[in-house]
Amino acid sequence: MIEFIRKQAYLVDFTLSSLLRRKGKNFGLLFVYTLIVFMLASVMLFTHSLKKEAGIILQQSPEIIVQRLVAGRHALIPADYIEKMGRLRGVTSKKARLWGYFYNPVVKANYTVMAPDHLVLTTTEVIIGAGIARTIGLDIGDYFTLRANNDTFSFQVKDILDKHSELVSTDLVLISQKAFRVITGIPEGQFTDIVLSVRNPREVRKVAEKLVQKLPDVRPVLREEILRTYDSIFSWRQGIVFVLLVGALMAFVIFAWDKAPGLSAEEKREIGILKAIGWESGDILRMKFWEGIIISLSAFMLGYLAAYLHVFYSSAVLFEPVLKGWATLYPQFRLVPFIDGLQIATLFFFTIFPYVVATIIPIWKASVTDPDAIMR
Amino acid sequence: MRNSSLFLLFLVAGLLFILMTVMDAVSQQDMARESLKRRATLVSELGLSDLALSTEARYTRHLSLADRHSAFQDHPTSFDHFPSGSIFLPPLHLAND
Amino acid sequence: MLLSPAILALILVSAVICLMLMLAGGFAIQLLRLWDINSGSELQLRLERRTYLISTLLTWAFASELISLMLFIYNAESMSGQFVGAMCATGVLNVNEWGWPTLFLKIVIFFSGTIWLALNYLDNKGFDYPLIRIKYYLLLLILPMVVTEFYVQTRYFLEMDPDVITSCCGSLFSVDAKGVAAEVSSLSPRDAIFALYGTGLLVMLSGTWYLLRKQGGLIFSLSGIAAFVAAIMSIISYISLYIYEHPHHHCPFCILKSGHDYAGYTLYVPLFLATSLALAAGSISLWRRIPSVNSAVEIYAPKLVYLALILFNIFYALAAWWVWQSNLSMGSIWQ
Repeated sequence: MIEFIRKQAYLVDFTLSSLLRRKGKNFGLLFVYTLIVFMLASVMLFTHSLKKEAGIILQQSPEIIVQRLVAGRHALIPADYIEKMGRLRGVTSKKARLWGYFYNPVVKANYTVMAPDHLVLTTTEVIIGAGIARTIGLDIGDYFTLRANNDTFSFQVKDILDKHSELVSTDLVLISQKAFRVITGIPEGQFTDIVLSVRNPREVRKVAEKLVQKLPDVRPVLREEILRTYDSIFSWRQGIVFVLLVGALMAFVIFAWDKAPGLSAEEKREIGILKAIGWESGDILRMKFWEGIIISLSAFMLGYLAAYLHVFYSSAVLFEPVLKGWATLYPQFRLVPFIDGLQIATLFFFTIFPYVVATIIPIWKASVTDPDAIMR
Repeated sequence: MRNSSLFLLFLVAGLLFILMTVMDAVSQQDMARESLKRRATLVSELGLSDLALSTEARYTRHLSLADRHSAFQDHPTSFDHFPSGSIFLPPLHLAND
Repeated sequence: MLLSPAILALILVSAVICLMLMLAGGFAIQLLRLWDINSGSELQLRLERRTYLISTLLTWAFASELISLMLFIYNAESMSGQFVGAMCATGVLNVNEWGWPTLFLKIVIFFSGTIWLALNYLDNKGFDYPLIRIKYYLLLLILPMVVTEFYVQTRYFLEMDPDVITSCCGSLFSVDAKGVAAEVSSLSPRDAIFALYGTGLLVMLSGTWYLLRKQGGLIFSLSGIAAFVAAIMSIISYISLYIYEHPHHHCPFCILKSGHDYAGYTLYVPLFLATSLALAAGSISLWRRIPSVNSAVEIYAPKLVYLALILFNIFYALAAWWVWQSNLSMGSIWQ
């Protein structure tokens, strides 16, 4: 055993010095490799943690949200729908909600305006999300304006929502129901949607079925559907991103095939000399195997660690523009890191595995060539 | 120092760092328990249904409340043109019926 | 279909392993037709060189097969949130009819792979490649399994329908249900214990016999397989109950969860390793009579047997320990 370890240590020594002899090429390879690991790892860590977090906090979202659809589009729901629903077994409360979107052309920001009924707000008071406060530069006591129907409505900022909750609340504007109706022109007796609370989670589906039977033009959105949506939210696109990155990966694999195990004249000569002084094909294979291990493990570790810092300590700056799109409001949030073995194993398969596979054949080719054929 | 020892050191250090990220994750999860609870409270008070990751289009802001036509909001044949629309999967309950 | 990185990785790995084995299989056919160790022709030289490549390829292929087996189970576990009715890997494997076959194929390929690797190692120790034909016949037997695995697994992932309401461990591994899983679950703990420790005894005896007399390696392997089956059955039938501390929860996957202290890993890892070592030991002990590898067999087979015995003992000790430390007492079930 000790014999074996000593032999491997000498091989590693030799491999490292041979790698360092061609610094430029090998560091270039390492850099590209690390970059690929970094990109894949960032995507995985980011989406996984976001998914986990969404799963935890959206666990508290309403059991059933009832929307009315007209011609396939979301429409206002009349208040008498609550009576029309009648008594539904298991439903503990029914609440009609008022909310909508508001575009502010000056700062080019989209707000989500809500008129919650559990808060006591006068018609001129407003509570805003931390993202809005930051983007426009508002503080408690300042005035916040919404422009609609050729009128300008001013509100005094009563409070700013918790900074730590930006992930769900960055663009929220909370005003009183009366003010909401005046601004949007939604008449009395109309609401955006209705929220039902159901005590027993097993009855939710039953309730939804009954609801659709009674009121054919509504669509219930269940909490479990919201959770499942967020559980798979990125899986698909993450898959697409991976498929696209596979292109990059292929390019890298070809690069590795070409470069890594050394088919350059100089390396061939090295192998020839080694064979001439008595190395066997097996030894050359082992040496090249160590070369692969050194490069891919280094790239894997460096790439993964950089991705961890990027996602959890710099708030995934590189992804911000993609998620932000054309919007100006973007939540500032630091994700809670959730890691599991599945991600690391997947990452391993996407990076080290292709590299190893791509280099097997060239390594073998290099190891079985006759010394005289090379040195002639 | 020999090269192989250096490499071993590098390997061990790297593994330690990776282990540290796992420990860091666990401790941050512990620390975040309170603020996660606050977020959850806000969600339940306001009845929120979505993350505010992307505010540019209503079907990416409130992903789970989107209807079948929301990606064609301007015109029946004007395809989804918001950049964020290309990242999110449509809600499962729409994708599957 | 659900396209997630883990699924893509699994499909990618299967595809690559499949390709590698096809390459090796093509070469195997050529080799079986043309191999002549006494010839000094250019062709023979080329074939001999090619065997290096094939062994490297297959070592990597079987190593990745092992990791992909773990990834597969892990992935099934993590997808349980996306299916209605699924609470753990069982539910996800139940999503369509391809789930379980994929898992079984992966396990069988893993074990065949270890046998192949053991033979290959032994073969390389003999100067005249005495096992080369057997090795490559075996490879040609493994190849269809790998291809089937690729096909079955791809169908499994492609036909995953998130709307299917699947059934989970509670209903599949229950005493009242029908099917193999249910029958195993309803196996009385007494029978299961007899099977577990009976096969265990068999393994110990045949292993010791081999170490003393240098014969009966095949019997050791066979009893290793029996012990493996008995162990899986007892995990389902009674060990899991003690880990969950619940008299009716028979699932073999939930014990892998953090909520149960990852107990499953402490059981499955030694069990799988021990079984594969037992298989390897038996398969190389058969070639004692070939002069060129005789000494290698004498050295390695006992080593493998030792290791296998140690790991089996660890497994039995841990299995007993999990039962002993549990708060569940099942006096009523022990009629």
